[in-house]
Amino acid sequence: MSYVPLYCKSTYSFLEGASQPDELVEEAHRVGLRSIALTDRDGVYGIVRAHKRAQELGVHLIIGSEMTLFDESSLILLASDRKGYANLCRLISKGRLRSPKGVSQVSVEEVCEHAEGLLCLWGGARSLLAGETDPKAMTRNLHEAFGDRLYAMLTRHREAGDLRREHRVRERAKAAGISTVAGMEVLYHTPARRPLQDALTCIRHGVTLATAGRLLQPNAEHALRPPFGFASLYEDDPGAVMRTEEIAERCTFSLKEIRYRYPLERLPDGTSAAEWLRTITFEGAAKRYNGTVPRNVQQQLEKELDLIHDLEYEGYFLTMWELVRYCNHHDILCQGRGSAANSAVCYCLGVTAVDPVRMGLLFERFLSRERAEPPDIDLDIEHDRREEVIQHAYTKYKRTHAAMVANFIRYRARSAIRDIGKVLGLPETAIERVARMLSHYEFPSANALHDAGLNPGSKLQTNLLQLIREIEDVPRHLSIHPGGFLLGHEAVHDLVPIENATMPDRTVIQWDKEDVEELGLFKVDLLGLGALNVVHRSFDLITKHCGEQFSLATIPANDKPTYDLIQAGDTVGVFQIESRAQMAMLPRLRPETYYDLVIEVSIVRPGPITGGMVHPYLRRRSGEEEIDYPHPCLEPILKKTLGIPLFQEQVMQLAIVAADYTPGEADQLRRDMAAWRKSGRIERHRERLIARMARKGIQLEFAERVFEQIRGFGEYGFPESHAASFALIAYGTAWLKTHYPAAFLCGLLNAQPMGFYSPSTLVEDAKRHGVIVAPIDVMHSEWDCTLEPRAGSGEGFAVRMGLRYVKSMQQNEGMRIVACREQKAFDSLTDFAFVTQLDHGILARLAESGALETFKNERRDALWDALGVTPTPHAGFALDDAEPTAHFTALDALETTHWDYTFTSHSARGHPLSHLRDKLSRNRLPDAATIRNMANGARVRYAGLVICRQRPGTARGVVFMTLEDETGFVNLVIWEKTFEKYELLAKTESFLGATGKLQVQSGVTHLVVEQLWRPEIEEKPCETKSRNFH
Amino acid sequence: MERLGCVDVRALPLQLLLRTHPDWRALPVVVVDRDKPTGLIQWANEHAYARRIFPGMRYAAALSLSRELRGGVVQEAEIGDAIDLLTRRLWCFSPHIEPSDREPGVFWLDASGLRNIFPSFDAWAARIGDDLRTIQLYAIVAVGFSRFGSYAGARSSARNRVFQSANEERAYLRGVPIERIIADASLRDTLFKLGIETLGAFIDLPASGIRKRFGAEAYELHRFARGEGWDTLDPEVLFEPIERREPLDYPEDNSERLLFRFAGMLHGMLGELSARHEALKMLRFWLCLGDGSEQESEVSPATPTLDANQILVLLRLRLSAIALSASVMEIKARAIGVAASQQQLALFQESALRNVDAAQRAFAKIRAELGNDAVVYARLCEGQLPEAQYAWERLYTLAIPKPPRMASRQLVRLIYAPPVELPPSDRHEPDGWLIAGIAEGPVEEVVGPQIVSGGWWTKDVSRAYFYVRTRSGRWLWIYHDHQRRRWYLQGEVQ
Repeated sequence: MSYVPLYCKSTYSFLEGASQPDELVEEAHRVGLRSIALTDRDGVYGIVRAHKRAQELGVHLIIGSEMTLFDESSLILLASDRKGYANLCRLISKGRLRSPKGVSQVSVEEVCEHAEGLLCLWGGARSLLAGETDPKAMTRNLHEAFGDRLYAMLTRHREAGDLRREHRVRERAKAAGISTVAGMEVLYHTPARRPLQDALTCIRHGVTLATAGRLLQPNAEHALRPPFGFASLYEDDPGAVMRTEEIAERCTFSLKEIRYRYPLERLPDGTSAAEWLRTITFEGAAKRYNGTVPRNVQQQLEKELDLIHDLEYEGYFLTMWELVRYCNHHDILCQGRGSAANSAVCYCLGVTAVDPVRMGLLFERFLSRERAEPPDIDLDIEHDRREEVIQHAYTKYKRTHAAMVANFIRYRARSAIRDIGKVLGLPETAIERVARMLSHYEFPSANALHDAGLNPGSKLQTNLLQLIREIEDVPRHLSIHPGGFLLGHEAVHDLVPIENATMPDRTVIQWDKEDVEELGLFKVDLLGLGALNVVHRSFDLITKHCGEQFSLATIPANDKPTYDLIQAGDTVGVFQIESRAQMAMLPRLRPETYYDLVIEVSIVRPGPITGGMVHPYLRRRSGEEEIDYPHPCLEPILKKTLGIPLFQEQVMQLAIVAADYTPGEADQLRRDMAAWRKSGRIERHRERLIARMARKGIQLEFAERVFEQIRGFGEYGFPESHAASFALIAYGTAWLKTHYPAAFLCGLLNAQPMGFYSPSTLVEDAKRHGVIVAPIDVMHSEWDCTLEPRAGSGEGFAVRMGLRYVKSMQQNEGMRIVACREQKAFDSLTDFAFVTQLDHGILARLAESGALETFKNERRDALWDALGVTPTPHAGFALDDAEPTAHFTALDALETTHWDYTFTSHSARGHPLSHLRDKLSRNRLPDAATIRNMANGARVRYAGLVICRQRPGTARGVVFMTLEDETGFVNLVIWEKTFEKYELLAKTESFLGATGKLQVQSGVTHLVVEQLWRPEIEEKPCETKSRNFH
Repeated sequence: MERLGCVDVRALPLQLLLRTHPDWRALPVVVVDRDKPTGLIQWANEHAYARRIFPGMRYAAALSLSRELRGGVVQEAEIGDAIDLLTRRLWCFSPHIEPSDREPGVFWLDASGLRNIFPSFDAWAARIGDDLRTIQLYAIVAVGFSRFGSYAGARSSARNRVFQSANEERAYLRGVPIERIIADASLRDTLFKLGIETLGAFIDLPASGIRKRFGAEAYELHRFARGEGWDTLDPEVLFEPIERREPLDYPEDNSERLLFRFAGMLHGMLGELSARHEALKMLRFWLCLGDGSEQESEVSPATPTLDANQILVLLRLRLSAIALSASVMEIKARAIGVAASQQQLALFQESALRNVDAAQRAFAKIRAELGNDAVVYARLCEGQLPEAQYAWERLYTLAIPKPPRMASRQLVRLIYAPPVELPPSDRHEPDGWLIAGIAEGPVEEVVGPQIVSGGWWTKDVSRAYFYVRTRSGRWLWIYHDHQRRRWYLQGEVQ
């Protein structure tokens, strides 16, 4: 006799079920069950994954959920048809939206109101039907609402209390005339998952296994049973078993029935969406091409519009256009990226800023009839103002029709070891030691645990290893996607439940990006980008102070001084090309055109680096190597990158052309490339690609290399369209740095935190570029950094540091100073303290940062006074004149800089090493400028401040460090063995000495380190913070 | 008060942690405030300092500097016990001891008049250090003329220090770095910012300015540093046990006669306790036997008392329960007291209907006769197995029970501890399964199974429980242990 498991909870019940939805479906299929229900607690988080696997295996998936009621009891609802599914989603949304995150509660009345299309299973340990008191009224209400779709569910888990509960359920069901159905709460697909289920229970309750007691299930009887096992469990009541199949037959709903329509704009009278899109596209084209749209562009637009119309995607494009229009209207800088940059329609609508026709980008990468999948447009919005756009989307489409996409936070190695270690009762300090030895994805070996002090071979260690492997990928809690929005023509809560996110005013659906893609739903990505903040702020400053108006579209293209700066690798603060590795690449690649910048942005990525593409490309570019193609058919694809694949699109095209992949297969390859690290799915393409390329006459060696490159792209490869969008901003910021260095620095400092360098490095770099930086002063500074006219500085302006750089100062305090000053200039510290009513802590911090120098020349005197200002009887402040005078030693120049760094993270007054230069010179330690002019192979001793430490995964253990002095940077290369020898110094010293050999190549200088040491001079510069990347 | 000593058991919590983990001594070790990666480091040893791991860092941050780092939490109670122990030991060196209530490990000792006992203050300090080393704790001792002077001496020196004159102490004090003395990190940092690095520079700041800017505590410290105030010790009160011993004239075997001997001893001890305003909390006694061995035991009254009769009743019961391997040659007793005030107050309490005191006394007698484990109660636990659902715990204080109201009548289950092993169930037994003997008849009805399994993280347990009814009508609660492959009688339904 067969049966249908109707009450199954997966890992998507969050820390309750111990099997993934697809594992439950697979096991059901393996033991010969035709149907299975997924009924996660208060949600449908896992149904897309279960649906996908069920489709593949031909299993009938019933969708439902265990609903929690206000009295903490529960009942199971199953969707019998589309209406029922919509009701389920609405009911869950109702429960979730009124509750704090992670909780959902509904009333019996609400359940009854949403009964249409739903079946209700009532029973189990958490139900009132099995409780001590007979819930007569609730029974009557449910029976009235559901009629014969209400079942009394029996649950047998061979636990104490089973008999008593079942007796009550049977008695009450009989009295009310409700049919009984056999069931059990399935928490895992196999009994072997019982330990994981116990561990998850402990994590949920924050207890250890030793103290969990009866919070754990008393036995392992919650596994999915095969038909024979279930029948024998209910051998006394075969009718109740047969009724499970009756229920399954009544539940005909499938996720395949979901029909999704993108929201359409309210259109001007009688205009169709297609006509409206056409109108605004050609209006935009006229603007883009100054009234004369080139013929090839017109043709391209027609082709795209036809395809958009055929696929009925007009609504999506109109939405993107509306969002961009909102941004433009509200002076919010935004720019589309991703494959949208391949679309001429997007360019003409103003969504993207790259002309795909001029660039030769392929529209098919963005949208194709064969792939028939939704287009993907990512909209970068200046970081500070993204929330405004998000809230606009909520307001415009209503919260019922718009919600953000979820992101499931899953267990990875470190989080697994931390939580499982706690569950097993290990001291947290010991757990942390193990966790620290691992990367986020690396699961510990027995040796690693031994190194961390855990006994090898012990039961504890065996359990730890077993459980952390099993818990990998188990969702821990729901988070929010960085910017993904689901918008629907019909209410979103009829598609998927909506719930509250942790962030205020954010609502989120119960599916993640992959689920949304799997069902072919449209998603809009609204992402924050700090660089757009910088650009916007800089342009505003130029307009305000220089009277000139620029935008990214109007700055002069192909500006030679800008490309000179880029080629010199002088790019601190320039978007995307400011890192040490990018700066080292620029003098070699020597970008001369916008497209060179696109390549520059793409080439310094783990994908091309691990794929071995960088050096061949550079050799071909410099003419050292002949440009050839392994097969003539590949020339059109690889021509623009000199025969070397550098972009993700090229890899996909390569698979299509060289290995006869269909567009669908190529797209799967793209997805597998993105996911290979965690799934290893890329390996299944290896044989197929190589064999097919061989059939085409492509040499095995090249085929192998292509596969390695593809795998490398999985690490992190850039699509060309993406790089094209970023290259525009890179060029824009480089142009600003070249022509308006003061405004650019000001914009950068006001947009912090962002980018690769700390404010102190940005300030020092600007000073080296002739910008005068004036220190923070309560008499002159605003909250933000500002420009002050100053001859001989930058574009005629100096940068006045803002009060935002006084550590621990709040914006309202800074604004108060500015507001009070606008009323009347301060005439003394007492006056300042009285007028601003700032507390002693902030007064002291201002004194320490040198912002009170107007009142007291010496900072220690200012600090003593600031601490001593006391309220007068008139509610003001005054210094006690009768107090004896205290005498303090004045700060010297080095100490002054030290205080600047400590209390404002930078110094406008000088670099710490400039005060020590004489001493360093006496020790025969050259500065960075001197080193830049030294020859290849020279042996050098150098000392500088560490501003950056990097250990890229692609560098096989090599550590890169950047040291700074008052004249510039010195880049260190530390081989793994050298690093191990000097690890402590390398990790902890902020002022570091290095001895080694210079490596000068194409104008790029690196110091290959042989020794690290602590510079032995009497005075030391202050401790500075470096930015470390691993 | 002529002279004061200050004992600084440096970084006491760290020393305690290292005493627990001697194998960590060669490694970087820290004490954290809580067992969390975000725990703040409170103390660090020299190996940790060498790796730039300092107090104030987060444990997780420190780990990134040294993978060898070991860390642990030292509980307040453990520190408290250590301070108690140290106080008791230091009483051997001075009658007046004051432990610091701010810094664990700092003690002030009245050193006046000790020259007559110890050859010099140097020798006194050295003896203290030697004594503490026997319990694996290391301390610096300074002897000075003021409390602050001796404290500064101990905190700032690498070895013991004895000031020969008050002037020498004052001069030394001016050069002491403030980080050795000022525990308040905020005050210390602000003074550093002002360029104040020694106590001398601190003393030179205007007192009124200190009070205005840094508050009363800093002002007080400033005052102490200037040599004003804070010299009176507030010594710890010691409930010193009273001990007596009495060699017997001839070997004794008779418990009544032994009791008589103890009675004489007891009256004197109680008198002494009474004079100290204490009452007897516990009487520990030793019987030294002819074969060279000692028999040790103790009795405790229900509440502290000065009533000799109560103690003697308990003593009689305990002596009569002791089996002697040889005759008693000597008896020793130690009376441990507590402050008597609580007991005096108890005299005025209204008596309840149920006489809890009488029950307490009865339990005391039972404990005296049968040992401390004779009076226990069942504490309910959250375990899955029947035997894990309760634990026997000693009952010292009796409360009037307040059972919760039950909605329905509960069946009473008798639990066998340990369970009784049953004969195997023979499938072909002609008379059926005779689980409780022939008289009860064979098993006629079985309900179950109810499965209890778990404990996989320590020791796997898997049992199938059944209720079975014998022909005689008894309902027995039995289980099959899957690991042992045996049947057991767990209990019975009454």
